[in-house]
Parts: sequence; C-alpha cells; structure tokens
Amino acid sequence: MRSKQSRIVIIGLDGMPHGLIKDLAENGTMPNMKALIEEGAFRQMASSIPEISSVAWSSIITGKNPGEHGIYGFTDLMPGTYSRFFPNFNSLKASPFWAREGSGRSVIINVPATYPAREMNGVLISGFVALNLQKATYPSSLVPELERMGYRLDVDSQKAHKSIDLFLKDLDETLQARLSAYRYLWDKEDWQTFMLVFTGTDRLAHFLWEAYEDESHKYHSAFLDHLQQIDKVIGEIASRIDDSDSMILLSDHGFERLEQDVYVNFLLKQKGFIKLQGNSRNLKDIDQETRAFALDPARIYINMEGKYPHGGVSPEQRESVIAELNEIFADLQIDGKSVIKHIYRKEELFQGPFVEQAPDLVLVANKGFNLKANIKAKQPYGKDLFTGKHSQPDAFLLVKGGEAREDVPDNPRVSDVVGIMNQLAKGG
Amino acid sequence: MSQKDAPKLHNADLTCWNCPAIDLAGKVDFRACGQSTEAFRKELSDDSDIQIMAECKRRPELGLFDPTGITYEQCPEWVSTPYGYMLKDMRVMILGIDGYLGWTLALWLGSLGCKVSGIDNYNRRDQVMERGAHTIVPIAKMTERLHAAKELLGIDINFRRIDIADRARLREFIEEAKPEAIVHYAEIPSAPYSMIDAEHAIEVQRNNTLGTLGLLFMMRDTVPETSLLKLGTMGEYGAPLTGRPLFEGMFPADAVLHWDNREWSMGGELTPRNPVSFYHVSKVQDTYNVYEACKYWWLRSFDVMQGVIYGVHTPQVADDPRLRTRLDIDEWFGTVVNRFVAQAVVGIPLTIYGAGEQKRGFIALEDAMECITRLICSPPEPGQYAVVNQMSGYYSVRKLAEIVAKVGREHFGLPVKIQRLENPRVEAEKHPFEPIYKKLPDEFGFEPKVPPEEEIYRMFELLMRPEISERIEQKKHLILPKTWWSGEKRRVETIEALTEETLKERLRSDEYQFAEHPEREKILKSH
Repeated sequence: MRSKQSRIVIIGLDGMPHGLIKDLAENGTMPNMKALIEEGAFRQMASSIPEISSVAWSSIITGKNPGEHGIYGFTDLMPGTYSRFFPNFNSLKASPFWAREGSGRSVIINVPATYPAREMNGVLISGFVALNLQKATYPSSLVPELERMGYRLDVDSQKAHKSIDLFLKDLDETLQARLSAYRYLWDKEDWQTFMLVFTGTDRLAHFLWEAYEDESHKYHSAFLDHLQQIDKVIGEIASRIDDSDSMILLSDHGFERLEQDVYVNFLLKQKGFIKLQGNSRNLKDIDQETRAFALDPARIYINMEGKYPHGGVSPEQRESVIAELNEIFADLQIDGKSVIKHIYRKEELFQGPFVEQAPDLVLVANKGFNLKANIKAKQPYGKDLFTGKHSQPDAFLLVKGGEAREDVPDNPRVSDVVGIMNQLAKGG
Repeated sequence: MSQKDAPKLHNADLTCWNCPAIDLAGKVDFRACGQSTEAFRKELSDDSDIQIMAECKRRPELGLFDPTGITYEQCPEWVSTPYGYMLKDMRVMILGIDGYLGWTLALWLGSLGCKVSGIDNYNRRDQVMERGAHTIVPIAKMTERLHAAKELLGIDINFRRIDIADRARLREFIEEAKPEAIVHYAEIPSAPYSMIDAEHAIEVQRNNTLGTLGLLFMMRDTVPETSLLKLGTMGEYGAPLTGRPLFEGMFPADAVLHWDNREWSMGGELTPRNPVSFYHVSKVQDTYNVYEACKYWWLRSFDVMQGVIYGVHTPQVADDPRLRTRLDIDEWFGTVVNRFVAQAVVGIPLTIYGAGEQKRGFIALEDAMECITRLICSPPEPGQYAVVNQMSGYYSVRKLAEIVAKVGREHFGLPVKIQRLENPRVEAEKHPFEPIYKKLPDEFGFEPKVPPEEEIYRMFELLMRPEISERIEQKKHLILPKTWWSGEKRRVETIEALTEETLKERLRSDEYQFAEHPEREKILKSH
C-alpha cells in the first residue's frame, strides 16, 4: 500500500546547463521537459564554488555550504600532510535530507559522492566515485538483483580515450541498467522521496560538447539521442506521480565549450610560489620555500607553518602572499583575453565548523577557460581530447508542485534545494 | 636511541603502492568526472587529471586515497623490526610449512609477531620414506609441532593439511586467512629425485609447475594485492660456459647485445635459463608462469633464486628438540653441505662428484630466513615480477668439503677424508661462475651474518649427539649417489681418495682465511 502523504521525486541531470535544457525543450528534442517547464518554476541555478560535482551534490543533498559539509573537491589533503585522499560519503560532515527526522522512506539512486552506502530508512545506490557495487548498495540484499539487471555504477571513462563509439555504447548500457533499477525500486519500495541522478550527461558533455554545438558533427545526433532518452524517462515518471506529488529536476553545474586548459600550479611554479624537493614533480614533495599550491580545479592553499609539514608562511606573511596571488591572477591573460573572472577568499565562500580545511582562495574562470591544478604541466596552458567544461553560474532548477513559483527564489543556489523541498513538503 | 635518530630502514620510503594491505580500487579521471577500473600504472598517480584510488584494508577510515602519498615510515600499521618496517601482525601464509624451510620460517616469523598460516600435504615426509631414508634430526608430528610452538614460543600457527593441487580447499583457506604475503615452498626440491625415472620426473613437474600455476589463478581471484615469494633456485641459470654473469633474473639496464654490426639494449629482458635437471626445468617453467601472471593480472612476486641451502640453526628451532626442523642427508634430499657434515660425523669420506670444481652459491639457513623476511617487508609493486639471487657467498664443492674437513678436524678432532667420485650428473665440472647477488644487500639491507664455518660448527655440535649420529649410521648407505642422469643403473666408482697429507697441505693455504666476515674471530673464539 502506498502512503497517502504527498511525495517528492527528484531527477538530477549531472552537468546540464540551463541554456541547453531551455533550447532542447523549445526545439522539441525534450518535449516532456517542455511541458514541465510550462507548468512549474524553471530557473538558472548557481553551482557551488568550485563547480565540482562532489561539492555541488553535497550541497544539494544537505542544504549546506562546504564549510558545513566539509567537501571542497574530488581531492583533499589528509590533515597535516601533503598526501591526497578522495573525500567520499564518510567525509560528509552534514546529514543528507534523507537522514533527517521525519524525512520518511527514501530511494536514492546514483547521487555522486554518496559512496560507500550506509544504513538509512530506504534504499541507496551510490553514484560516482563508487567502485564496488557491494559497498555502494544499501541494503546489500539488493546487490544480487542489481547484478542480475547488469547495473553499472558509472560509465568507464577510459573507454572514451580508446573510442567514442565504445564510450557511447557503454553510456547507453549504463543508462539502461540504471533505468531497470529505477523501475524495479519505484514499484517495490514504499517511498516518500525518490531521487534519481543521471550522470552520463556530464560524461557526454565532457567528451562531446563540440558535437552538441556543431550540427554537422558525426556525433551530434548521438548527443541528442541520449538526452531524448532521458526526456522519455522524465515523461514516464511525470505520468506515474499524483497531482499532489512534487517533482524537482535539477543539475549540479552547467557546461560550456572548453577553449583552453590553464594550469594553475604551473603558473605558481613559474612565479616562484611552488618549490619542490629535488627534481620531483609531485606535490607531496613540497619544500619549505613553497608559499602557495593548488588542488583541482583551482583551490589555492597558502603553505602555512604549523598547518603543513613543510609550511613556511607565517601568519604575518599570509596577507602579503594573498595580495601577490591576487595581482598575478587578476592580470592573467591569454591571447589578450582575461582568464580569471573572480578570485574568492575563503571567508567569502565558506562558513561553518570545517572552514579550517578550506582553500584560502578559489579562482573562477571566464568563459571557455578551464582551470586545472596540474603540477606536471610543461606549459601554462593547453588543450586535448575534452571539448566541454563545467560552468558555475548556469545549473538549472525546475520545480513542479505546491506553490512552486512562489517557493522557488529567482536566483537559487545549489544549497537552496533542501529548503525548497521542505517548503514543498509543508505545502503538500 | 629514538626511532627518529636511528638510521633509516631500507623500506622507509615505500608507500601504499607497494603495501599488500591496499585495495587498488580503481582510478578516476577528474577532468571527465569519470571512473575506471582499467589496469593501473603508477605514473597515473602523478598526473593531476587521472589518479589511482586505493582503499586501505587495515585503515578503512582513510576512505579512498592516493596510494603514493603515505610512506611505511609514516603509516602506523608498519612497525620497525630488525629487518625493515613490517606490517603489524602481518598475515603470512607458508605453502609447504612442514618442510625444512617452511617450518623454520613459520617459527621465525611467528616470533616476529606475524600471524602465520600454512599448508602441507606431508609430501616431503612421504618421499623421504619412499626412498627408505629419514630425517637425521628427528622431527615431531605436525600436531606436536604446533602444540610445542604454542607452548614454548607462544606462536599460534593456523595449519591445514592441504595439497597445493587441491585448489578448492586451498582457495577457501586463502579466503579465510587473507594472507598479506604468501611464501611458496610447496615444491619438490630435488634434482636427483626428478631424474630417478619417468614417474618421478612427471611427479616433480606436475607438483611444482601445475601447483604454482593453480596458485597464480587463485591469487588473481582472491588476494591480488598479496605479494608472492616464490622459491626458485640459482640452478635455473645453470653454469653457462660463456662466463656471462648470472644476473638477478633480468639483464641490467646497461647490458647490450652486439651482433652483425648492430646493437640492442637488453635491459629488463629475462636472462637465458639453463636448467640442469627435470626438477630445474620445473623451476624455469614456474619462472615464466609467474612472470606472465604478473604481467596479465598485476600480481606482484619475488622469484627467490636461492643458493644451496645448509644448516640447522635459528634461535627458534634450536630452542627445543620438539621445534627442530628436518635435516636430510640422502642422495635425493640432502643438500651438499648437510651431506658432508653427516659423512664426517660417521667417519665416511666426504664425496665430491667429478673434479669438484663445480661452483655454487650457498646460504645458511638463518641467513635465508633473514632474506625472506626482508623481502616480505618490501613487497614489489603491483605487476612487478622481481628476482633476487639469494646467497651469501659462492664456493667450489671441493672447497666446501675442505672447509667441513677443517672444522671437523680442528674443533671436533675428527679424521675427515675426502674422495672424488664419478659424476652421475650431466654438468660441466669446471666452469666460469660469476653470480650477481647485490640486490639483497643493496636494496633490502641484508648482510650475511653466518659464515660457513660457524654454521658448520653448529651442525657438528648437533649431529655428533649420539641420538643423531645413530640415525646417520642407520641411513649412511643412502648418501652415495645411485641416480645417473643417463639412466644407467649402477653405483658410482671412486676416482680418487685424497690423503691426509694432501688435505693438511691444502688447508694451510691462504684460501681458507675467511676474511670477508668481520665477526669471524669473535665467533670462533666464542666456540
């Protein structure tokens, strides 16, 4: 028996920008999306800073900023060392909405940064980065069923480096298996909240953004096919919910054409901020003379004494190091174009109990420039296989149900989603 | 001296990349926000876009992390021992744990705090009995051995009677014990045994080659991060008449092949093998199987090319008669020094085959235990097939006989004679010999501690005990070789008996000054 209480369905399309969704809805590629846009509140949403999936999704599911949830990027440093680790669900310091009192039973499928799965009221299948299905699934009794349906945690990104056709095949098979899992759990579970994230959209955009923009591109129709399939699922889900239920569709960040990769650590080395021991090209061999270094994509850390094993910057020197960095990055130009749009200080972006581990500065780039830490780069900028990059200001949010048009702010941020859900729940 | 002031241990800078407690979970391509479980290369971890992710089986709280970031010196799971950093309570499985080396190693590692497990099918006991021989140092039954290890040394050994060929049961045991290192001694270690007849040759090759091959598949499927220490033998290289040095498995980086006015770098290629019996062929076949498995499945292995082993002593086996390891002296399972000492004890001439100028690498039991321990402490990288030549020195067989004669004569008053016999083997009796054995000292901090005279002295002490010399007497007829490589069925004849006078003359010469061991004088005085 279904409960009579109104329910919420959340559908995530990783990396899909507001502009693309709008265009594809209008040109008929995504008719179901179009219908929902007409009924609901459709907004451009600001991603997290940095605009990285693990950071943004952690904010989406907790309603908190990184200073409160503790996730600042795909990589971070183990405290007191220069050793990298990959923060995961165990590192998330704030509770996701499904773990809060009164949240009811939830089905959560493929939300990035929720690995390893842990006990909850409902079902969770972790999203990227998630490497082992057993550890990615709660309850584990579900694993044999997922294996039977050929469930895949993620597309194997290395396939794209071998062959785009192989990658597209993998992308499609992963999507189909994900749909099998959603259909199975939709019927089997008595849920209050159902959240399903499609992450293939982000992979597709990384490798084939160019194909989306160029109608004559060999893979243009393959790009659109994938989104059409997802649109069908959106229609299917919309038709399966009651009028009293709500729907939220959203992305974690936007996307845009990648014009140029820019290597932040190369620049820091060139300007004498980074000094590595011997001939090392590895950040773990940082020397005492290092004043600042970056982690992906462009999180800059001041090498403070007392904080790091070879920290050489005293508290009195910190401001002058920041001032120097500001000057360098504010002036940075490539082919006459200014690279950096904004340099944020940690206190502008992050508040909460975990700000100590926050980067001191975060750079956000102007359109087309893709910032990478890359300590091994041999030149300040470059370009390779990838044709798309994340963009910060233009994720999307679409809410249908309740008093959506009143409840949704005009300029929402990823950390507003939990508040909107709460409003919808009250309204229901 | 605090740990910080102590000299740096040889494996201090190794990282989780080499650690068997790692679970190489996959890699992540950050730019494409993608993950992959395709094969791992260490260089990837230095790339800022693609990184290898690992999980620690011992410290799951670390989550997913870069396996090249934490060194053994920094990790609390690796603790300092005299042999390098070693995983705390390291789980080591010994295949062939009832054997001469297996049992000795079990007690050695147990006393270092390792969690030792092991299997044996008692092949060695059965085969020695089949030949009508026995171990001259009496050994207890396995159940008594295990009980004594627990009672006397506080060592718990998790033992199962399993044949390496019983893959289902061995796999189950590996899954249960989750070894972080597997020391593979479960092979039939005898050239003459493999040359008796077709049945024996086939049995040696079946047990050794197929047993190892099955193990490799098992490791792939159950414990791919575990390091395999596989016992090879210096005999795999043979004694090439070209005089080419016997490198450690592979040609060094600067080796070059010249031919036809062209040249090629040989660095990293396996050196030619030149096995000298069907047993040695089985070891060479193992080499290729292990090499390929490392390449295909990212297993990691040391192929330990052990010199001729001898001796009876480690502190643990010498602790109590119930803890002793076996000592064989028959023509099939007795190694040359062990045989010589037994011959000297019961007053029969030491027997040298042919000219006696065959040169071999040798290592004493205790030194061999130390080497293996150091290798356990320093696992190879994923996918790495590494080879070490494990020996502490090399001598001609004639010279070794003369060392035994000297110790027997000078310290125990035994009138030792030496005789030269027809050589039943097909081998060069005079050949150049230049083994390279630098890795263990240079990379793993090994220094030989046991000079031949010292171990031979300890052997005389033990073997001259009446209950043991009696056991030698009973089986002394099995020392002289009867197994001809040619297949002939006859006893070997004596070619020459060295007289007392000749021997005395030789033993006075400079050749017998063992200057290479700094502690020599002290050790001899202490006796």
